[in-house]
Amino acid sequence: MENRRITDHPILDFSEGEVIPFTFDGKPMEGRSGDTIASALHANGVKVLGYHFKTKRPRGFYCAIGNCSSCLMVVNGQSNVRTCTEPLLPGMKVETQIDRGVPDDV
Amino acid sequence: MMYETDLVVIGGGPAGLMAANTAAGAGASVLLLERDRHLGGQLIKQTHKFFGSEKQHASERGIDIAALLGDELKSLEDRVTVWTHATAVGLYDDGVITVDYDGTYRKVRPKRIVAATGASEKFLSFPNNDLPGIYGAGAVQTMMNVYGLRPGKRVLMIGAGNIGLIVSYQLLQAGVSVAAVVEGLPQIGGYAVHASKIRRAGVPILTSHTIVRADGKESVESAVIAEIGSDWKVVRGSEQTIPCDVICISVGLTPLTELLWQAGCEMRYIPALGGYVPARSDRLETTVPGIYVAGDAAGIEEASAAMVEGHLAGLEAALSLGCGGDGCEEERADCLKQLSSLRSGPTAEKIRAGLSCAHGCQTPKRRDEHA
Amino acid sequence: MLEKTGIATREQIEKLLPSPGRRAEGPYAVMECFQKIPCNPCSTSCAFHAILPMDDINDIPSVTPDKCTGCGACAAVCPGLAIFIIDESKGGGTGTVTLPYEFRPLPGIGETVKAVNRAGEVVGDAVVTRVLPGKKTKTPLVTIEVPLSLVHEVRFIRCEAHQEEDPSVADTLREIPAPPQTADIGEQDDEVVICRCEGVTLREIRDLIREGYTTVDEIKRISRAGMGPCQARTCGPLIAAEIARMTGEPLGSVAPSAHRAPVKPLPIEFFLGGDTE
Ligand SMILES: Cc1cc2nc3c(=O)[nH]c(=O)nc-3n(C[C@H](O)[C@H](O)[C@H](O)COP(=O)(O)OP(=O)(O)OC[C@H]3O[C@@H](n4cnc5c(N)ncnc54)[C@H](O)[C@@H]3O)c2cc1C
Ligand code: SF4
Ligand code: SF4
Ligand code: FES
Repeated sequence: MENRRITDHPILDFSEGEVIPFTFDGKPMEGRSGDTIASALHANGVKVLGYHFKTKRPRGFYCAIGNCSSCLMVVNGQSNVRTCTEPLLPGMKVETQIDRGVPDDV
Repeated sequence: MMYETDLVVIGGGPAGLMAANTAAGAGASVLLLERDRHLGGQLIKQTHKFFGSEKQHASERGIDIAALLGDELKSLEDRVTVWTHATAVGLYDDGVITVDYDGTYRKVRPKRIVAATGASEKFLSFPNNDLPGIYGAGAVQTMMNVYGLRPGKRVLMIGAGNIGLIVSYQLLQAGVSVAAVVEGLPQIGGYAVHASKIRRAGVPILTSHTIVRADGKESVESAVIAEIGSDWKVVRGSEQTIPCDVICISVGLTPLTELLWQAGCEMRYIPALGGYVPARSDRLETTVPGIYVAGDAAGIEEASAAMVEGHLAGLEAALSLGCGGDGCEEERADCLKQLSSLRSGPTAEKIRAGLSCAHGCQTPKRRDEHA
Repeated sequence: MLEKTGIATREQIEKLLPSPGRRAEGPYAVMECFQKIPCNPCSTSCAFHAILPMDDINDIPSVTPDKCTGCGACAAVCPGLAIFIIDESKGGGTGTVTLPYEFRPLPGIGETVKAVNRAGEVVGDAVVTRVLPGKKTKTPLVTIEVPLSLVHEVRFIRCEAHQEEDPSVADTLREIPAPPQTADIGEQDDEVVICRCEGVTLREIRDLIREGYTTVDEIKRISRAGMGPCQARTCGPLIAAEIARMTGEPLGSVAPSAHRAPVKPLPIEFFLGGDTE
C-alpha cells in the first residue's frame, strides 16, 4: 500500500507520533497522535467514507474543516460524525455510513 | 449566564489575531472566538514565504507569522480570553452572540464586535464532481501541512490563481506529482513568480482550459480536460484524458459573512472582492454601529492586508470605547498608509475598484457614542 | 508568454543582464521578477545596497551590478524564489548558477544532477559545487556548474532520487490520446451534483428555475439544496449563478440565500442544554 505519511519535508517537521489503534469496518488500523478520524483513514488508503443517502454515490472528505458534511461516518455506533474534525481516539470503532446512518439518534 | 466583555473578535486568523492584540494592547477586554482547535486561520497551512514588507512580516512563512501573533496574544493574557473550538453561530440585532463552545451553548454580549471570519472556498460543477479524491485546495493543504499526509500520487489542479499555484508548489515539496494546472482564463491569475516556480519544476500551466469531467469507479482515476474558447465553450476535439488520483479545486474564495447578514449589516455584491461584502466606512465599521469587519471577510485579499485591517479594526473598536492613549492617531494613519501602499500596484487594481464600492457608507451614530 | 505559461522570454531575461564587462568580473544577481507586486524583502536584505530602495512597495527590483557582490543574501529571502546568482567569470567554458531549492533530498557536493530550464525540460547534466542549507530561511541555495552557454537557461535541478517519480509531465500529457468526443456536454451537465449535502443535481435546480422560482431561498426550500450541514456555503453561489445564467439577470441582482442563525446546524439538545456555568 502506498505510504501517505510525509517523513522528510523541506519546511515542516512531522515527528513520528504515538500509534493509535482503531478499527474501520471491523479491520484493525493504526493512526497517529494528532490525527482526526478522516486523516487516519486517509493515511491507511481509505478513500470512501460513506454512500450518500439520496444519490447512493460514494463520498470522501472534501473540505477537511467541518464545512461540507462529505465525511459523515458512524463512530462507536453514532452516525453523522464529522470525521474530518473529530480527533481519533484509541479503540474507536469507525464504520462506513450508508444512507442517513444508523437510527440511534432519533 | 451572559458573558460580558468590551470586544468580541470572531475568527482567529491573521485579521482576528491582530484585532485582538491591538484592542487588548490599548486596554480593552477581549474575547477571541475561533472555530478551529488552533489559532492562525489560513496561516497555519502556509509553508511558503509571504510577500509584503517588514511591517507585515514579509519573507516569513505563514506558519511562523501565526506563531508570532499567537505569542503576542499570550503576552496580553490578562486582557484577552481565547475560546478555541468555539463557533459563533448567531449574531442578533441586540448585539448578543451565541456560541457553540466545544459543544456547549454560550451567550456573549460585547460592546463591540470585529468580524474576522475569513472566507469559504468556491465549488465547481462538472460531472462526477462528488467523487472521492476531489478535494478543495484548503483540504489538500490541511492534509499535507497539518496532518503530514500526501493527498495522493498525482494531482490535477483546477485554477491558476495564487492559491492554485502555491498549493501545487507545496504538493511538489511533499513529493506528490502535479499533472497540470488548468485555468479557464486566458492568462494566469496568480503572481508570475509563483507560476515560474512550478513551471520550472515541470508542471504545465494550461490557460484557456477547463475540466470537463472526472472519471473513476469509487474514487478519481482520471479527468478529462479541454480547451475553451473566448465564449467559454469547449473546443471540440481538444479533450484529453489526464490520469490522476486527486483533483484539487482552487477556483477562488468568497467572504464568509453569514453573521453579518444576520446582524442586518448592509451587504453589497462586489465580484472584485469575491461576492457579498458588508458596506463599511474606511475605518472598517459596518452599517450596524459597533460591528467592524476585517480581513477576507471584508473582501478577498491577502494576509498582509488582513493583518493591517485587523490592526485598524481593533484600534477603532478600542478607541470608540474610550481606550487607547497617545499615539493612536499616528497608529491609525500608519495603518491607512500601509493599506494604501499594499494596494497601490497594478495587481491590486481590482481590489481598489472593489473597495471604492464597499467603502463610503454612513454608519449611523451609536447610542453611546462619545461626543 | 509569462502571463500564459509562467516562462519568461529570452528578451525579458536579456534586459536583466549586466554589461559584458561586469559579467566577466564575478558573480551577480539576476532578479526574474517582472511584475509590480507588493513585495520588497530583496531590497531590504542587501547589505551592499545593491538593490535600489523601493519607495513604492510595488516597485520592480533594480540591481546596481557594480555594487552587487553576488553574495546571495537576497536569493535566500525572496518569497518569489525569483533571484539567481550567476557567475561567468571562472573561465574554462563553464559558469555557475546558484538557485533556491526547497526540496528534499538536498543534493550533495560533487553530485551530478539534471539541469532543468524554465520550462521544466532537462537540458543537460550539472555538478553541484556548493550547498547552503539555509538553516534560518529554510531556503537552501544550491550552486551548480554548467557550460557557459547554459547559465542563462538552467533554473532548476532534478536529483537522481526524483527522476522516476517525476517524468517531465509535459511529455506525458502529449502522449495521451484524446478520448472520443464527449457526447453532449450540455446533457451530462444535468446530472452534476450541485448540493453535496442533500445530493441535489443541476437538473432539479434547472427544472425549478424553469417553473419560475428565481431566488436561492425558494429553490433551497423546495429542493432542500443548501439545507444540509454546510448551509449553502458550497452550493449557494452555484445556484445563484445558474439562476443568473438562465434568467439573464446579472449575478448581483439574484437574491442570495437569507441568513438566519445558526450558521451551522446544531442538535436541539444543544439549545435545551442551556448555558453552562
Ligand atoms: C494557499 C494559500 C496561499 C496564500 N498565500 C498568501 C501569501 O503568500 N501572502 C499573503 O499575504 N496571503 C496569502 N494567502 C491569503 C491569506 O492566507 C488570507 O488572506 C488570510 O489568511 C486572511 O486572513 P483572515 O484572518 O481574514 O481569515 P482566515 O485566515 O481565513 O481566518 C478566519 C478564521 O475565522 C474562523 N471562523 C470563521 N467563522 C467563524 C465563526 N463563526 N466562529 C468562530 N470562528 C470562525 C476560521 O476558523 C478561521 O480560523 C494565501 C491563502 C491561501 C489559501
Ligand atoms: S547578491 Fe548580495 S550583493 Fe547582490 S543584490 Fe543580492 S544581496 Fe545584494
Ligand atoms: S523579494 Fe523576490 S519576489 Fe519580492 S520583489 Fe524582490 S525579487 Fe520580487
Ligand atoms: S470534509 Fe467537509 S465536513 Fe468533513
